[in-house]
Parts: sequence; C-alpha cells; structure tokens
Amino acid sequence: MIWYDRGQILYKVSPLRLAGWLILIFFLLLALLAPFIAPQDPCKTGAPYLPPSSDHLLGTNDIGQDILSELIYASRVSLAIGLLAGFMSIVIGVAVGLLAGYFRGWVEELLLAIGDLVLLVPGLPLMIILAAYLSPSMWNIILVVGLLWWCSTARVVHSRVLQLRNMPFVEAARALGCSDRYIILRHILVNAKEIVYAKFALAVASAMLTEASLSFLGLGDPLNISWGEMIHFAFSRGGFANDMWWWYLPPGLLICTSVLGFVLISMEPKSRGKFLEL
Amino acid sequence: MSEAGGGRSYFLGKLIRYSLTLFLILSLNFALPRMMPGDPVVNLLGDEALHNDPEMIEKLRAEFGLDRPLHIQYTDYLRSVSRLDLGYSIHKSRSVADLMAYRLFWTLVLVFPSIVIGALLALLLGALAGFKSQSRTDLMLTGLALFLYTCPPFLLAMVLVSVFAFHLGLFPLGNLTSGGRTGVEYIADVAWHLLLPVATLSLLGASYKFLVVRNSVVQLLEEQFVLAARAKGLREMEILLGHVIRNVLPPFISMVALSFGFMVSGALIVEIVFSLNGMGTLVYDAVVARDYPVMQGCFLVLTVSVLAANLIADILYGIADPRIGRTS
Repeated sequence: MIWYDRGQILYKVSPLRLAGWLILIFFLLLALLAPFIAPQDPCKTGAPYLPPSSDHLLGTNDIGQDILSELIYASRVSLAIGLLAGFMSIVIGVAVGLLAGYFRGWVEELLLAIGDLVLLVPGLPLMIILAAYLSPSMWNIILVVGLLWWCSTARVVHSRVLQLRNMPFVEAARALGCSDRYIILRHILVNAKEIVYAKFALAVASAMLTEASLSFLGLGDPLNISWGEMIHFAFSRGGFANDMWWWYLPPGLLICTSVLGFVLISMEPKSRGKFLEL
Repeated sequence: MSEAGGGRSYFLGKLIRYSLTLFLILSLNFALPRMMPGDPVVNLLGDEALHNDPEMIEKLRAEFGLDRPLHIQYTDYLRSVSRLDLGYSIHKSRSVADLMAYRLFWTLVLVFPSIVIGALLALLLGALAGFKSQSRTDLMLTGLALFLYTCPPFLLAMVLVSVFAFHLGLFPLGNLTSGGRTGVEYIADVAWHLLLPVATLSLLGASYKFLVVRNSVVQLLEEQFVLAARAKGLREMEILLGHVIRNVLPPFISMVALSFGFMVSGALIVEIVFSLNGMGTLVYDAVVARDYPVMQGCFLVLTVSVLAANLIADILYGIADPRIGRTS
C-alpha cells in the first residue's frame, strides 16, 4: 500500500521515500564503484554496432565501445552534473528567498521581480544559446542550468520566511538584540530546512532532465559522456534509425529511474504522499 | 483605491513587467555575441564566417558595425529588430527571418493542440484521481503521471516512434506530410502525421498538471464547504463539479498559461525526434553547425511568442476574474 493513513506516522519513513533512497543509494554505488563494476574499459574501441552478446551485454556503439561499461561510467557524469547544478540553484534560490522574505521593502520587490522575469523566459532556448556560446564542457552545463533554475526555490523559501519572520521566537530574538545575520541563519533558515531539502531533491531532478535535453541536442561535454549524450550519439549516428534499442533505451531508463529517486525522497512524510509543488 | 483603478493598475503592472522582460531579452540577445568568448564576427555570423580571408573578415566587421561604439551598435540593433531583420545565416545562405517564417507556424500548430489536450486530460483525470483518492484508479494514474514526469521528452518520443511507427507501422516515421495532396485530404494527412507528436507533447504537459490537480482536489475535499454541501444533501457529482472543480479552475488556468514556455521547450525536442520541419529542427541544425545568427533569431522569436501568450492569458484571466488586482 503506497498511501498511508493520517496520523499513523511521524517518525516512520514512508515507503515511497524509502524506495527513493534505495534507488539513489544504488546509483551512488554504481557511480562510485564504476571501475569495479564495469566489465570493460569504456574507452577501448573494437568492432562497431554489435548487437547484445555474452561479450558485450548491451552491444557496442558506433566506435565499438562497450555500451554497458559506457553506461556505468556515464552515471558519474549525469549524477555529478545533476547534484552540482541542483546545489548551485538551491544556494541562489535560498539566498534570494531569505533576503526577499526577511528584509521586505524594495529588496523584496527587486528580487521577486528578477525571479519572475527569469520564470517567464522559456528555459530551454535560453540555455541552448548560452551553452552554444560557451565551450562544451561539464562545468559550463552546470553553470547554465544552475543559474537559471532557482526561481521556484526562491518563491517557496520566500513564502516560508514570510510565515516565520513574525513568529514570537523571531521577535524575541530581535528584542534580545540579535543581529539580522544571526536571526536569518540560526532561526529562519533552520526552520525552513525541510523545504530546502525537498526543493534540493527536486532541483537535482530538474537539473538532470535539463542536462539530458541539452546533451541530447549535442551541447554536452564530449570528454565526459552522460546518459543524455549517449542518446544523442545513438540518435545522430544511426542507432535509433536502425532500431538498436539496446543503445538508446538503457540510458533513457536510467535517467527516468534516478530522477524518480530524487522526486520520491522529496515527498512530505506527513501529508499522505503529497507532492511538494514541483 | 477605486475598483476600476485597481483593475487598470493590474493591467498596467502586467504591461510594465512584460515590456521590461522584452527589453531585457533584446539586450541579452545584443550582449551575448559581443561579450561571450570568441570573436564577435564569428558569434554574429556563425563558424562559416572564418572561411573568409582576413581582409574580408575586416570588411564584415565594418559592415556589421562592430568597430563602432557599443551604444550606437545597440540602437542600430534595436532598429533592425523592429524591421524584423534578424541577421543572415551564411551557413544556409538565407536571412534568418525567412528561415523561420513558416517553421514558427508549424511549431505553434504542434504546441497549441498539445496544450489544450494536455490541460483537459490533466483536469479530467486529476479530478477523477483526487475524487477517488487511494483507489486503484488513483494509484495507477498517479504512478503513470509520475513516470511521465520523470521521462525526458526525447525518450518518450523515441519510444512512441519505435513502437507505433517502426514496429506496428500505424503512423508515419516523421515529416509533416506525405506530399502531393490538396484540400481536405491534405489536412487529414497532416493530422495523421501530427498525431504521435501531439500525443507525446500532450502526455508530457499533462503529467505535471495532473499531479497538481489531484492534490488540490484531495485537499479541497477536506474543506468545510464540502462538508456543508454534503450535509445539504447534494450528490457527490454536484459537489465535485459545482464546488471543488470551480475552486481548482482559476489557479489551473494560470498554470496552463505559464506552462506555455515549458511546452515550447518540449516541442523543440519532440520535433527533432519526429523530424518535423519546425523551430526545433532549425535550432538543432544551427547547434550542430554552430550557426549563431539562427540560434539567436530562434531564441528571440520563441521568447517573444511565449511572452505574448502569457500576456494574453494574463489579460483574459483579469477579465474572467474581476477580483484580480483589487486590493481588498
């Protein structure tokens, strides 16, 4: 049973969250232990376009590399980009949300207006153009995705701060003469942390999906192949046209599963598997 | 503040916000090729420009005014954009505006039905799942929506093409028409070609909206006014349609309007997989050839269409719900 009854749990981990954590631990181990798990060196070339066999469980790609090994090593790139870009967007989003919510006035107006502007612009075309001007590298992808994905975090944190800032304990801290910095870091941020954690997981999920789309378009790092980029090569070099599903389907399913893992751990345990505003 | 004044200031505020965004986008489009790494000549003309000899490159630099001060370049740029002059693609030897003219039309033909179908699907199924929450229908629908939400657009498109077009042969593998048809037959042919891409995009758009509708219905069903309606003896259907859905609709409509940008982004990717001749394939070719003028033109045109759609939605929303913008 996926949905559980009200009031039943506060401390027990929900089964959905548990599933999410198991998925993520699996992918983390896969990425960390890649050299031990991968059957072959992902860079070694051989006979191209081989179908799955006992030598190559998922066949070989257009330059004869073992697809299974490439897939395992690609988990490192996809997860690293997702986590770092997610982290960057969460840092910006939390900072903007905290400042806007705490200081109000023109600071709030300005920061929220900037957030609205970024939210209005369609994300993918802007990221395409930024990524195309920068040299194709993993770090530039992280930068582009992280810089443009903070608005929804900022909004959620902002509304939470608005609830918190007039609560008695904050007023008490202010009356005691605590500095703004101390109140923001020790009282407000601490009380908003659950939202921040959940938003972080969702930001990683969005970042991974965005990275996959950018890589699919051929804007990925040619030296660090990610899952999305594997699909790009499968698509542009005949794998898709020749129905070599063992080439493009596994990386796609791994993207889905890892994103699902991050979405699942972001669910609130208290309100019956409710999704936080995605 | 008087009531009419509240409404007017709402529209005025929106208008200012959108003009500001438009101004920022234009400035960004102006600044990017000039400040990004690389030679502005290449950034403005595409990689092909480098095949010219140095003398020619200098001539091009002068022709594009790159040797003049920035503020003069900026006013020149704004003037040419207002004339719909978006630059010239050396790679395709055509002007960018020409290249985009009919492709934008096809992208919109893909996007609009998908938004409508996706929104209706999300509203109907979301209300159903929320109304029967924790039932088997709810679990199945929510699971499916969650899966679609985690699915990158190109993957869903590739799987649908592979299954329905490649293996079952029910639909064409790509392109907009088979050609050589006119009148009603032509429209039917285009609809047949567009069915799979529209289905892909609708499903992608519906997944997230479904989750939101389902959750709001579940929450609203716990409200006091539902209890009151039940006590009054209303049938469950009447409560759902007359009281719950009515409260879901206003935020739902603004969510659908805001999703326009997301849908355009999705359409770009879906077009590439289905090799439809829209903006997506144009962007893809431009990325592969590093044809910067085309990329910039596409970015500008897509952004302006998204802004326009959102502005229209905002205005309609303000008219439909007169409470908006009134400071009570």
